[in-house]
Amino acid sequence: MTALAQHRSQSLDVMALDRIVVMANQIGDFFEPYPPERRAEGIRNHLRTYWDPRMRAELLAHIAAGGSGLAPHVIEGAMLLIDESHEQRGYYGPPKA
Amino acid sequence: MPNPLKPDRSVVTTCAYCGVGCGFKADTRNGRIVRMIPWKEGKANHGHSCIKGRFAYDYYNHPDRVRTPMIRASIDEPWKPVSWDDAFAHAAKEFKRIQAKYGGKSVGAVSSSRCTNEEIFLVQKFARAVLGNNNIDNCARICHSPTQFGLSATVGWGAASQNFDSILQSDVIMVVGANPTEGHPVFGSMMKRRIRQGAKLIVIDPRRTETVKSPHCKATIHLAIRPGTNVAILDSIAHVVAREKLYDEAFVRARCEWREFEHWLGLVGSDRYAPEVVGPTAGVEPQDIRAAARLYASGPRSAIYYGLGVTEHSQGSTGVMCLGNLALSCGMLGREGVGVNPLRGQGNVQGGSCLGSWPHVFSGYRFVTDPETRASFEHEWGVTLDPEPGLRLPNMLDAAVAGSFKGMYVMGEDPAQSDPNQNHVTAALKNMECVVLHDLFLNETSKYAHVFLPGSSSLEKDGTFTNAERRVSRVRKVVEPLAGYEDWEITVKLMNAMGYPVSYAGPGEILDEIARLTPTYRGMSFDLIDRIGSVQWPCDENAPEGTEVLHRERFPRANGLGAFMLTEYVPTTERTSDQYPLLLTTGRILTQYNVGTQTRRTANSMWHPEDVLEISAEDAASRAVKDGDWVKITSRFGQTELRARISERVNPGVVYTTFHHAKSKANVVTSDLSDWATNCPEYKVTAVDVMRVSAPAARGAVEAEKPSTGVPAKELEPAE
Repeated sequence: MTALAQHRSQSLDVMALDRIVVMANQIGDFFEPYPPERRAEGIRNHLRTYWDPRMRAELLAHIAAGGSGLAPHVIEGAMLLIDESHEQRGYYGPPKA
Repeated sequence: MPNPLKPDRSVVTTCAYCGVGCGFKADTRNGRIVRMIPWKEGKANHGHSCIKGRFAYDYYNHPDRVRTPMIRASIDEPWKPVSWDDAFAHAAKEFKRIQAKYGGKSVGAVSSSRCTNEEIFLVQKFARAVLGNNNIDNCARICHSPTQFGLSATVGWGAASQNFDSILQSDVIMVVGANPTEGHPVFGSMMKRRIRQGAKLIVIDPRRTETVKSPHCKATIHLAIRPGTNVAILDSIAHVVAREKLYDEAFVRARCEWREFEHWLGLVGSDRYAPEVVGPTAGVEPQDIRAAARLYASGPRSAIYYGLGVTEHSQGSTGVMCLGNLALSCGMLGREGVGVNPLRGQGNVQGGSCLGSWPHVFSGYRFVTDPETRASFEHEWGVTLDPEPGLRLPNMLDAAVAGSFKGMYVMGEDPAQSDPNQNHVTAALKNMECVVLHDLFLNETSKYAHVFLPGSSSLEKDGTFTNAERRVSRVRKVVEPLAGYEDWEITVKLMNAMGYPVSYAGPGEILDEIARLTPTYRGMSFDLIDRIGSVQWPCDENAPEGTEVLHRERFPRANGLGAFMLTEYVPTTERTSDQYPLLLTTGRILTQYNVGTQTRRTANSMWHPEDVLEISAEDAASRAVKDGDWVKITSRFGQTELRARISERVNPGVVYTTFHHAKSKANVVTSDLSDWATNCPEYKVTAVDVMRVSAPAARGAVEAEKPSTGVPAKELEPAE
């Protein structure tokens, strides 16, 4: 959890946390029907491509604090943001085939 | 006596109202416009026009036009007229002060689809190169951002696959969440012509719109769905296509990712999307869903046209994907008479989308996270660019409420009137320390602005617009800018005042820069457009005069194949309850345009002096509401008052209004829910209750807005 703790310290609370939680769960709802690996990748890629880094940091800080209100697969997908091996350039939206 | 209407000069330009983008000849006499004549050679309109483009031009010299820059230290103070130089210096000083105090990302910019491509490009350059962040958005965020997302995911580009003329070869026309006879009248007339020739029409819309039934226009099938059930109904249509094997297997095998198609068949083929299951939820007869699916799939040439009734939902992007999936499955792409086509509300929504006024992509939909794309812009602009996506407009407002976002440059937009959950927007604007508003009029947002830069209307400047069929047409200066500068010049001067040296001899040079940096616009130039009239992107060495129909051989995705998305229906959390038992949805009327800033300042207001609430006879009776009574509409977010009109156009359980008048405050009641992918607001579904009131308390004794005919109309603006 050291990586998570690091994200926590960077968090600036760019906006109200309940907005962050609602939006993250909505993204999770869309990717729900995908097989587990693609579901997690899809959530991760969407957050990486469309969310301001401060919004991502706020989400990760909330996860570090227990992530209450977040669907388990949203937490799983968001956690991939910390793993650099998932970093890929210019990726658009839902999971590729 | 000489004829006072006889023009001494004529300029061909492009209408700035809806996304049809009609060509017009603007005739002037002694430097004043005397008439607008639809241009015969215009490839979008072929010499036709509607009541807005033809007659609603007087706003340009309305007495309410602001002609002098103004500043003020706080929004409680009166405006102080200043010189242009002082206004730029003040705005620049404030932005720099805020960035020094709160950080580089505490400011941003918003551009508008009412501005030219060149201006939209400049505003995003201002954010990225001058403010140094990607906090840049445009008003397509609140209308068609799901189109960009949903169509990119399925067919590769977030744009109409066809030119307008293509509809003249369609056998089946499916209109979803759009009302082209009112919202896009010239295209609507072309659609009616094709229907008179025998084309079948499917309409999916909660309301019995003019497109469902009016002279020369009658839907073969109308699915009057409950607001918010788009994805369920489209998945159910797909269910019939899947189960009855109505799909075009040869097309899918040749042109799409087959494995994704099989995944999709599994999802939509599930029993939960059977018409007999979805029908009762959506308020539609199951056999009508089956009939719609069979008719669409039978074609042989079926075209989909859709509007904000698809996009402005919590599943807006999913709804657009449903349409992409459906067209791919039935092979309805890549030839004449078919396609998936968004109808754009504003003149330059497509341009706004194309030209990088987004926090995550540069022009041509290329990611800010992509080092190669970023490097090309860094090389051209001579600065290092932010590699991370910025805040979207709703995020900026949320951040402002939280205190982390403090300043904004707004060109040609009115978030205080047009964005949802107005009380939230107002709180956000009040929390900012510097709002620079660049507009024609003191709109609703001006109440919260600190710097006002008086802009030029589309009749007063040069540039280009990209219409809903990807057609780039010239906007030409008809009269001199009332406040002295064309809009692009104002943005350049603001950039200069911020210390960024840039200059252009004219907007043609800005289009040249766009062409250098944007593959789909590579071949564009003023010269080319002047020579051939208008050009549909993509325009490059392979298509030197542009492209009418997309996707003929491959889809613009990495592997060239169309992709199917899994579009599970997730009901919105905005639901009816005992307290709020009705669903409010919104739309437009022929004579007025958007929030009415322009058309309300013309004689067109004679046709639509006020917004009314359409309500079914049943719902009216149970509330003792009679036709013409004032009613109060209450949601979880706020309340407003309108006059009721008992109407057969809406089903029981649904009420409807337009949003052309600021006084109506339709967005006081709309919710803060938004699309899962793009944050496009869910304008089309709000749970409300309606109650009869004796008099319009909020408006005092004012009965209704008086129509303006160009005389000074203090009662028109500001709204209260």
